[in-house]
Amino acid sequence: MTSQHGTSVPAIAIRNVTKRFGNFTAVDNVDISVPQGSFLVLVGPSGCGKSTLLRMLAGLETPSEGEFAFMGRTVSDGTRGLVADAGARDAGLVFQSYALWPHMTVAGNIEWPLKVAKWSKADRTARADEVLGLLGISALKERYPAEISGGQQQRVAIARTIGPKPSILLFDEPLSNLDAKLRIEMRSELMRIHRATGATSVYVTHDQVEAMTMASHVAVLNNGRVEQFGVPLDLLENPRTTFVATFLGTPPANLIEVTRSGDGLVYDGLRLADARRAETQDGVQLLYPAHGLMVGDVPGRPAITARFEEAAPIAGRTMVTAFSGGKRLTAMADGYFRAASGDTIRLSFLGEPSAVFAMTGERID
Amino acid sequence: MSAVATSVLSRRGFLRSETLVPVVLILVVGVLVIAPLVKIVLSTLTVEGLDAWQAVLASKMSENLWWRPLWNTVLLGIGVAAGCVLMGGFLAWLVVLTDVPAPKTLGLLATLPFMIPSFAAALAWGALFRNSRLGGSVGFFEANGYIVPDWLAWGLLPTLIVLIAHYYSLAFTVISAALSSVGADLVEAAQVAGAKRSRIFFGIILPVVTPALVAAASLTFAGAVSNFAAPALLGLPVRMQTLSTRLFGMIETGQTERGFVIALLLIIVSASFLWLGERLVAGRKSYVTVTGKGGRTKRFPLGKWRWPLFCVAVLMCALTTFLPAVILTASSFALQNGSLFSNWTTHFWIGEGGTDMAQGQAGIFRNPVLIEALWMTLKLAVTVAFTTMALGLALAHTIARNKGSVLATVLGQVSFTPILIPSIAFAAAYIALFGAPIGPLPSLYGTFLLLVLAASAHLLPYAVQSGRSVLGQISADIEESARLTGAGFFRRMGAIIMPLAIRGLLAGALLVFVKIVRDLSLVVLLFTSTSPVLSMLAYRYAAEGFMQFANAITMVILVLCVVATLLAHRLQNRVQKWKSA
Repeated sequence: MTSQHGTSVPAIAIRNVTKRFGNFTAVDNVDISVPQGSFLVLVGPSGCGKSTLLRMLAGLETPSEGEFAFMGRTVSDGTRGLVADAGARDAGLVFQSYALWPHMTVAGNIEWPLKVAKWSKADRTARADEVLGLLGISALKERYPAEISGGQQQRVAIARTIGPKPSILLFDEPLSNLDAKLRIEMRSELMRIHRATGATSVYVTHDQVEAMTMASHVAVLNNGRVEQFGVPLDLLENPRTTFVATFLGTPPANLIEVTRSGDGLVYDGLRLADARRAETQDGVQLLYPAHGLMVGDVPGRPAITARFEEAAPIAGRTMVTAFSGGKRLTAMADGYFRAASGDTIRLSFLGEPSAVFAMTGERID
Repeated sequence: MSAVATSVLSRRGFLRSETLVPVVLILVVGVLVIAPLVKIVLSTLTVEGLDAWQAVLASKMSENLWWRPLWNTVLLGIGVAAGCVLMGGFLAWLVVLTDVPAPKTLGLLATLPFMIPSFAAALAWGALFRNSRLGGSVGFFEANGYIVPDWLAWGLLPTLIVLIAHYYSLAFTVISAALSSVGADLVEAAQVAGAKRSRIFFGIILPVVTPALVAAASLTFAGAVSNFAAPALLGLPVRMQTLSTRLFGMIETGQTERGFVIALLLIIVSASFLWLGERLVAGRKSYVTVTGKGGRTKRFPLGKWRWPLFCVAVLMCALTTFLPAVILTASSFALQNGSLFSNWTTHFWIGEGGTDMAQGQAGIFRNPVLIEALWMTLKLAVTVAFTTMALGLALAHTIARNKGSVLATVLGQVSFTPILIPSIAFAAAYIALFGAPIGPLPSLYGTFLLLVLAASAHLLPYAVQSGRSVLGQISADIEESARLTGAGFFRRMGAIIMPLAIRGLLAGALLVFVKIVRDLSLVVLLFTSTSPVLSMLAYRYAAEGFMQFANAITMVILVLCVVATLLAHRLQNRVQKWKSA
């Protein structure tokens, strides 16, 4: 060990990790690290490798290449084929399925890991009571997992994981089995527990809203690679690829394909931006957030015609989905907007595009 | 850094044990399954072996040695398969898809015949229909003045009936599992589309369960062609030979090579029909879940047919389970079959020897040979139950964890190979391999160990299947979450896996126990006087004409089997406390 200590040592360091299953590369050269106390969210569509990455963090899978270090201590090394035992990593995992042991009571589920860790009977009981209280499920102590609701099972799974006071908490899509209302409730609950334990958390989800609300750091994964890694607002404001730009943000942002014409970038004969923003490219994609596209004509702003699809009221405004040139666009309207499906409506571009991407997806401007 | 790394990273040894276990398992199934088969093939390729091939297939004797037994065997197989699919299919339809009264009880009754030995029904048939052709004591009907024609007393027809009465419950199990997987929404979707009942049955339900019907037909066919007890008791006295009785006769009379040749031919006949069945449904998506975990199923109202059909079903079950049991019990107490229910004596059970009854033989519970056979049978059944379940669990676990690898595929295929091999032919292969000393190892013929090895190998497919279904109920997450706490392999097994699996394992073990206790065709070749088992004793007594003793012993086997079956049923179905919600 070097003399490094304190905050300069990342709590979790993932160094050039690759995981292959046969010919399939599930995780491709991932390299990120976060300081102690952070809440890292791995977000991406299904099959992007986020769960595999989490399982490697937990020690359930061995990396093919690269290494993992917790607080400067190497716990997995793919090149040498070494992995510290899942139990010896000071990390706890909350499973998507909760994985509660069905033959043990709620209290039994929480105490058993402590028993494995050789805690005394008195300490175990005290700690179980403490975490049961923290999760607000003390009344369920003697019940079996099959006798409590999904939301309660979720709380038991979390209580069981934080019981042994791990310094790293891992969550595998923990909220995906809950209904919408409970999900929002548990989201704040999880944040509270994260703060209360002071642990470093890694959270896997395909829900970008969860990523945006909970994360201190977000890694967007696609096809096993990290598309972008940073703090949530930075990703939202400065997406480096079209994938990140369209995956994050509610409602989804719009990409408009334009071509160079004279000194302008033109969509369907309509000049949208200055050609200099496309640098040397002839065709590029312009990014407009939903709130940058307004239903109806706005004096002095370019507008296009689109076919109305559907409308959803959000916070006093209306999110409108329409089609133009075969592409789905999302725009906003003030108040409650209504139209019949298939109606022709006008959409105005309120400002300059917030970003410009090459047709291959990389950011130009 | 590297110092920390070596102290923390210590799982190399575990990696090695992960590859060690499959290798050991490959060796075990290799010795148990592959070696005997290779050896029996090699044994028929010697000079004597090639002579035997010629004698069986291309000589004046081949009519008697091969063609006629083959004809009888195939005829029995096809007849039994057809009868079983009809009878088992009817009961399965009634129990699963209609509003027949007491479906659960009917379902249990329909599974019982397969749990009692097939020679129970054969002996009961004899007690009723035996005629005077062979001399000795006649059956109930002839003793009471009815003339029983030969075709009803002996040969193909009685054998066919007795085998159907035994194997239809196998067909029932397979078909009812498939029918339970026909979800109510499937049927309701057809109803909403305006289909009538017959249309739904032929258009939706039948196609979905066709693979199961084919599977039931090939399994019952394979069972019938490999059965030894029924054709031996009802066919042999009138020289009706099947391949299995021929095989037995050859080995009994020391014509070992010819026996081996017939064993190989029997394997080919049985396996090719199973393969044919497989081909018929290959390419179709298999809808069958053998565990039968269907959701809600749609029950059709039977209307005025509800009670009549219920009575038909009860009658079927009664004729195949209770009637044989009652006849065997009565016969074991009766002095002669003509008056089954009068003049009862307990002599055949507990009578002293040296009297003028039964040629001076004592009742079975005073007969030291029987007592020894009883203990031997129990010891064998319990040993095999535990070895196969342990092996089955290890194999199922290894196959599941290495899924997709060559290793897992090989292990899976080898452990399911015995399903293709009739047990009597399998026993012949064991004689071929272990009948003579192998290098420094002594001959195992006649030892308890040989019986254990052969029985374990024979039941391997069943054991792996139950191991799979037990493990299937425990998700990988549950074990992984225990691993994350730092609990080692044995701790996880002890605290997490075993408590969840124990009932399934015990139920599987009990059914293996039953299969061993009621088996005759495997032990009939491996049996010697130093390793007597109950079923073999019953067969000996029957062959020598001491029907009451045979029937009494069969009743002992039957009771053992039924008690174990009901216990297993209870274990599987009893609600566990943590599942009560």
